[in-house]
Parts: sequence; structure tokens; C-alpha cells
Amino acid sequence: MSDNVEEIQKSIKKYLFIGGLLILFSAITVWLSYVELPTHGQNILLGMIVATFKAALVALIFMHLNHERSVIYKILAFTVVLAIVLFALFIFSHEDPLVFSGFYTPSDQL
Amino acid sequence: MDIPYTVHARPDTGLYNAKIGIWLFLASEVMLFGGLFSAYIFLRVGADYPWPVHDLDVTLGFVNTVVLIASSVTVVMAWAMLKLRKFGLYRLNMAITVICAGVFMFNKSLEYKAKFAHYAVKLTDGTLLTGHLPHGYQVKFEGITELNLTVPLKKSAVFADPVGYVLPFVEGGAAKFKTEDGKEITLDESTFTALSAEAVKKATEAKKSQATIKLVATSPLKVAAKPSEIFGYTDSTLTFRDGTVATGKLADDKMTLEVDGVDARGVAQSEKSLAFDHRYLGDAWQKAFVENRDHHFEEFAKNYPTRDKNRSATLQKEALFFKLHSATPPAAGEGHGDKHGAEAHAPAEGHGDAHAHHPTVVLEKKDITFFSNFTPKLNTYYAIYFTLTGLHGLHVVAGALVLAYFLLFDGKRLRQDPEHLANRVEVGGLFWHFVDLVWIFLFPLLYLL
Repeated sequence: MSDNVEEIQKSIKKYLFIGGLLILFSAITVWLSYVELPTHGQNILLGMIVATFKAALVALIFMHLNHERSVIYKILAFTVVLAIVLFALFIFSHEDPLVFSGFYTPSDQL
Repeated sequence: MDIPYTVHARPDTGLYNAKIGIWLFLASEVMLFGGLFSAYIFLRVGADYPWPVHDLDVTLGFVNTVVLIASSVTVVMAWAMLKLRKFGLYRLNMAITVICAGVFMFNKSLEYKAKFAHYAVKLTDGTLLTGHLPHGYQVKFEGITELNLTVPLKKSAVFADPVGYVLPFVEGGAAKFKTEDGKEITLDESTFTALSAEAVKKATEAKKSQATIKLVATSPLKVAAKPSEIFGYTDSTLTFRDGTVATGKLADDKMTLEVDGVDARGVAQSEKSLAFDHRYLGDAWQKAFVENRDHHFEEFAKNYPTRDKNRSATLQKEALFFKLHSATPPAAGEGHGDKHGAEAHAPAEGHGDAHAHHPTVVLEKKDITFFSNFTPKLNTYYAIYFTLTGLHGLHVVAGALVLAYFLLFDGKRLRQDPEHLANRVEVGGLFWHFVDLVWIFLFPLLYLL
């Protein structure tokens, strides 16, 4: 947490710059979504990479996660792990969970 | 009792208490939205229809993105100004943040309103027509002379209640009937209670399982109701949701639709879509559709010679989801469905009709399999769209209320203990940044990709 006056004065310029950068990257996201890549999946991947970058800027700069106390990183470490598990769940919607996890091999694949 | 560590850090955590609190709360919020984003992935992977891409208003979505980013900057600036004890600039930045929240919600309301008034109609061959219902959609019956009411003697889900389920749809409201024993009555709550009590008594004596009441209208009745307001109908009978059966004649169940789009992606031979039947859009629109489709296919083949036209979702949409921008089809060789061409064909003079720039078709009921406005009922995309943006909108409102409270009602703290207020604003701001962060993912996922 930046507490002294000079540091805060310095960070004001940084906030404005990051705000501009976020708007620029939003425009880039819109433009990229109209580019015809070989598959639409690549459009989605690219869009999500840009969105993650923007989210990281917000979290690190605006939410001051670039210099925070360790207890907050500990809380967030749990959140990140659990959120990743949530996003990975969809694998079970098009992979047979038994085959996918290696518990069972269908007879025609033996 | 004073709450400890509101201003200064607690020695063991190195933080003031509220900050630990807000981060724990944000961690739970990540899981809340994470669950819904996970649902989005499931619904998208399992969708059995072309997932809508660029179907929402991208300009409006982008404006809202900019508004939210701007408010994120101003809320962190407000905190910094408070730290520097520049109270005027603090108030200014805080006010801009709250105004941005208002603008965001206003834009959102415009977007929702447009969705509620816009309809999609699925035809039997898989064609999806989009457009507006200028007169709504109602099933109309006329010449109704007889009502048959059923009152089960045991507890049952369907129970005659003509006052609640029949009379609201009868033209003219209250109606006069003759009962079986020739009494003339005006149907209302008290007469029906008396009538059903009598019928139940008779049925009990006769050891029947249900009582029936037959009412004959003194003059033929007309009924008009939305399909969702009745249970079902045939050419000569209409069943209301309380099980009451009316005998009469089906007068009209056709749907008047101002068509602004023909989505033929679900049709094997798109040029033979039912939409281009001679009763509906007809040959001239069919020609315009085929021309637009082939134009897009040719362009694609020219630009991406190695790619398969059937595997490009965007091409399929551009080629087969045909947008109608004028009341009459564009002349041959002009306007490939894009806005430039359409403007040239918009009628020069309005005919006093606000929707004169779309052709109107009258659809027969037998050709319609499903219709809905653009609400969760339409498909899983709109279900998750409304869930995610609705929940996000609630967060915007909640965050704005908290920040507005600090701005308007925390003046005493501002004068006496600005450091404490700065911490409060920081915590409120952290929540506000999180709301922005969620939107950073929502915007591309729902509007763009």
C-alpha cells in the first residue's frame, strides 16, 4: 500500500495511463473479433488472452495487487486454484469421465 | 465500542481489518461469477444451434466498457485525492464514478428493452425469422355459446375458476349466461361460488368424481388471448388454463410479423426456406437472399482459398442470416445485405408507419413451431446472457450505492477522520474494480466472440 504523498502523486499519472491502455485494448478486442482466423476457437483464445491481460492490469494497478501484504496473496491463491477447477469442469461434458481419467478403457480401444 | 483497526494496520496481518474483509468477499465473488462463467462454457459447448456472435449491440457494449473503465480510473483517483487531502477533487472523482454507473445502467436498460420487444419465430423447416410483432400475438375465438366447467371433488391441480382464467379474455369483460335450469346469471365470484357449491352437492349425491357445470351464453362471446394465457385450442374448442372448455369457432391465429432477419442456417437448402414461400417473402426476396449468400461465399473463397466454407461460423452467419433493411427487396446487383446498399432502398417517404423499412408477413400457425422474444426462453445463450449481465448489473447498482453513500453522507468523517474515509473508499473502490474486471470478460464473451 502506497502511503506517502510523493508515491501517490506519482501513481496518479500511472492510473490515467492504465485507463487509456485499457480502453485501447478494449478497442483492439473488438477489432480482433472481426478478424477471420482459421478457426473461431482461435478468435476466442486470442480474445481471452487480451481480456486476461486487461484484467491483470486492473488487478495489479487499480487494486494495488502489485504491492500487497502476503495474507491477501494467500487468500487469492486458494481462489485461483478453485476457479481453475471450475473452468476445467466442462471437460466432462464432452469427454467420458471414466475414460478421460484413465479408470476405464473401452473394449474397442484395447 | 470502537471497531478496532479501521485506520491503522493490525500488527499481525499488516492490514486494516476492512481490507482483509473485502478481499475475502471478493474471493467468494470470484467463485460466484466463476460458477456462472463455467455454466457459460457448458452451455456453449453443448449448444445445438449456432452460438450468437456479434448479435448484441457491439457499439453500445463498447461504450459501456469505456464508461466502466473510466469509472474505475475515477474511483482510484478519488482515493488518491483523499490521501492527498484534496477534498474538492475527491468529491469530483467520486461524483463522476457514480454518474458513470448511472450511464452504464441506462445503456443496459436500453439494451434489455430492445430485447423484450424483438421476437424470433421458428418455422417448421428450421428457418428462424426475427422481427417485431406490431399488434402482439393473440389467438382469437368468436361465436362462443357454451362453457363447460369441471369442478373435481378431490383436491386437484386443475380446478374451474372462470373468474380468474376465462373472463379476463372475454371481449367486454362480464358476460351473461343461462345455467342448466334456465336461471340467468352474470358470472362473477359470488355467483360462481354458489353455482359450484350446488353442482358439487348434486355430484356428491350421484357419487360422481367431479361436478360439471354447463353455461350457455345469452349472446355469442368473443375471446382473445395470448397462447401462454390459454391451455390449448382446436378449430372449434378452446381450453382455458382452469380446464374450462369453450365451444365456438377459431377466428384468427395468424401471426403478423415485421421481418428484419431470415436465419436459414438450420435449413438444408437455404434458398428453399419456408420464409421465401409465395405466401410470405416471395421470389424477389429469395433472389436477394441467394445473391447475398453467393456473394459472401465467393468473397470467402477468394480471400481464404484453403478454408472450408462450412466450417467458418462467421461466414455461415453472414451468408445465411440475411438482414432485411427495406420494405421491398433490393434491385438485382445492388446491396449485398450490407447497410450501405440498404439505405439506398429505404423508402424515400415514410407512410406514417414507423416500421415501413421492414416487409410484413402473415404467418400461418401450422408453419410455426416456436416463438419467443429475445429472453431466456429463446435459447440458452439468452438465458446465460441475462443471468450474467443481470447479476453484473446488480453489482453495479450495489457498488454505486456504497460509493454514493460515502460521497453524500460521510461528510463528518471527511472533516474529522479523512484517513478512515480513505480506507472506506479504498475498500468500496476494490469492489468497484472487481465489477469492472468481471465486465472485461463479459464484454468479449457475450458481445464479440
